[in-house]
Amino acid sequence: MYKYDAIDQTLVDQRVAQFRDQVARRLDGSLAEEEFRPLRLQNGLYHQRHAYMLRVAIPYGLFSSKQLRTLALISEKYDRGYGHFTTRQNIQYNWVTLEDTPDILAELAKVEMHAIQTSGNCIRNITSDAFAGVAGDEYVDTRPICELLRQWSTLHPEFAHLPRKFKFAVNGAKEDRTVLLCHDVGIELKKSSASELTADIYAGGGMGRTPILGSLIKRDLPWNVLPSYLTALLRVYNRFGRRDNLYKARIKILVKALGPEEFARQVEGEWDHIKNSDDNFTQAEWDRVAQHFTKPAYKALPALSNEQVINLATEVEKAAFARWLERNVKPHQISGYASVILSLKPHGTVAPGDATTAQMYAIADLADHYSFGELRATHEQNLVLADVEQSKLYELWQEAKKQKVSLPNIGLLTDIIACPGGDFCSLANAKSLPIAKAIQERFDDLDYLFDLGDISLNISGCINSCGHHHVGNIGVLGVDKDGEEWYQITLGGEQGNDAAIGKVIGPSFYADEIPDVITNVINTYVAQRNSDEPFIETYRRVGVTPFKDAAYKNAKKNEKVEKVIDGGTA
Amino acid sequence: MSQLNITSHSEIVHFPKDGKPALGQNEWQVWSGSQDEGGLPDLEHGAHKVLVPFTWWLEHHHEADVIVKAKNGQIGVWFAADDDILKHADVIEAGKTVWPLVAAHFPIFRDGRSFSTAALLRGRFAWQGEIRAIGDVLIDQLLQGARVGFDSFALRPDQKLDVALKQFDLYSVTTQNSWRGSRTTRATLSV
Ligand code: HEM
Ligand code: SF4
Repeated sequence: MYKYDAIDQTLVDQRVAQFRDQVARRLDGSLAEEEFRPLRLQNGLYHQRHAYMLRVAIPYGLFSSKQLRTLALISEKYDRGYGHFTTRQNIQYNWVTLEDTPDILAELAKVEMHAIQTSGNCIRNITSDAFAGVAGDEYVDTRPICELLRQWSTLHPEFAHLPRKFKFAVNGAKEDRTVLLCHDVGIELKKSSASELTADIYAGGGMGRTPILGSLIKRDLPWNVLPSYLTALLRVYNRFGRRDNLYKARIKILVKALGPEEFARQVEGEWDHIKNSDDNFTQAEWDRVAQHFTKPAYKALPALSNEQVINLATEVEKAAFARWLERNVKPHQISGYASVILSLKPHGTVAPGDATTAQMYAIADLADHYSFGELRATHEQNLVLADVEQSKLYELWQEAKKQKVSLPNIGLLTDIIACPGGDFCSLANAKSLPIAKAIQERFDDLDYLFDLGDISLNISGCINSCGHHHVGNIGVLGVDKDGEEWYQITLGGEQGNDAAIGKVIGPSFYADEIPDVITNVINTYVAQRNSDEPFIETYRRVGVTPFKDAAYKNAKKNEKVEKVIDGGTA
Repeated sequence: MSQLNITSHSEIVHFPKDGKPALGQNEWQVWSGSQDEGGLPDLEHGAHKVLVPFTWWLEHHHEADVIVKAKNGQIGVWFAADDDILKHADVIEAGKTVWPLVAAHFPIFRDGRSFSTAALLRGRFAWQGEIRAIGDVLIDQLLQGARVGFDSFALRPDQKLDVALKQFDLYSVTTQNSWRGSRTTRATLSV
């Protein structure tokens, strides 16, 4: 894992001092709230429904047990005993105070962490594959590039006040686990035939009000010129991105308005002037960073078959353990090892992605015992122990059970991505957490969930799409109608290599109808599927109509209200 | 022209590339170009140097008295945030030989377009003279401005100069290049 040098450490320490001074000026009134706002946002500090919320960066999702202990300590000392892991591989605290924030940042700096650019209209924390460096299907380990880009983007002066937030994702595996095409810029790393590391650049993806998948604008860019190319790209966006309308300020709108070809041409025009500049990464920089991402001290171990691993369990536990192996354990590059996903989505959970102080401390211990002291946060709001010896999986499973992070629901219907919604977020139109909970309670039968197989269900409390409802096979979106909370359903969304934006199926529902609606949609799938066909393929084959008919079959309420709204009667 | 915010502090924060931050009197009047009936504002009275909008310069730079005044050090130009300076590269190249000062305007502090303008003036046009930040210029923008290429700052009148002067040494390290120098992360490695 990357280890700060004196420069990185000095930078975060000085950042703490700078923010401490800004907070002091805010508190003594010499800095107005309106002017403080972008400053605090660039340091991950939001003002939410009830309190301040602090978002801490976990660059490309990789962190250590020591760092997790500090995150636990912060949740205990400055918050209310839990933290919330987000879809962008960060962690949020919902109950911090402005006065405490500089001290929290100082605690973080002690373990090489910060909250720089986790919010605001700047280059945000760079996300990547949670399995980088260990995934069986990986062709390039993305971590050195992510780290170089983290440094390059940190406090970048030219791009501190962009038209809107700016999100990079970096992928280097066959299966895209980064939602690459839903980012402002997606960087797909590849090895050319000559073994050169290159990047394909996708621009203009995003969710929100206008969901768009990114377009390929540059092929085979040598890795070392990424800074000059991205500078050119961001410069075009900074100069010409729309600033007159918040909803049209994302790069996706610029790319769409110009067309990807014209956008690419303008970037190229700018890049021509700077492509040979010393902004570019040097081999020495690569070497310094890459040495931190060499393989840990793996033992030479025989690869165990699934059967051998299952046999580690007692007779009574075999079936349950096998389930966990099937859903929560992933293949590894190294023989004898596997990666384990700890589910932060136990059924009936308070919020998908939440971990309590006690869980964080305990998971840090698990990382020390089973995975070289390292962890990863996933885009689906779970945690990963990436380097577990297969022969210790059974032991680890038992430990994970004690912490209630062993539910074998990874990739299943109840592995719900959900934003904090109306319970915490001041932008929300509707709650999302109670909806997630109600769905988990309805689908509490693991046998049934296993039979349904891979299905993603994502929930957002408003059109900003923090819960990524657009790319859920089933998406639930909170909408507001005359001050009431309603929920719109989308179907057919997909993340990964066949990324797709879901389609709205029709008028929205009341909260208490949602579990029935989901049940009807699921029953339709079960009735229509061919043997092993996953939900999304059935949907693509038979189309929306049967799902739609099923979803509305007992929905009386909304017809009435819909009429009231349309006709203006009553 | 849209609403402009160009009143400023009477003192200017200067931060030359290889020097130290210091205060100086503001000798320049920023002219919005809006009271254009009588041509240039009267340069004999009050502040006797004027920054004209780049759009005004585009229209008037063929006039002999304008060039003379610019060469005398009395006329400089300021770029609005939405001026596309690359479209007028020829005018800027010519202007480089006559302008004593150029400025870039921040309509509101959180509008970062002028950071790119300054970066282009330094990088693409190799402008060596002073670049001043004008408009809604606040203390917490100074550091970014200094790094992209600004070397003088006309702060908003309510900003505290003592706090402003302390901004430039908040950081002793950087992780990307800027107009002021190479990134520390690179300087410490042998290339
Ligand atoms: C609680 C306070 C939060 C606020 C005020 C907030 C604000 C916003 C806003 C305004 C957008 C709209 C972006 C657009 O224009 O497309 C957005 C999108 C997004 N936010 Fe949040 N958010 C919050 C929490 C979260 C959480 C908890 C997560 C992750 C679990 C998150 C991650 C995201 C992501 C991934 C998007 C996706 C949109 C895209 O990719 O275009 N945010 N958020
Ligand atoms: S989707 Fe809306 S409600 Fe949910 S966290 Fe984002 S802004 Fe808040």
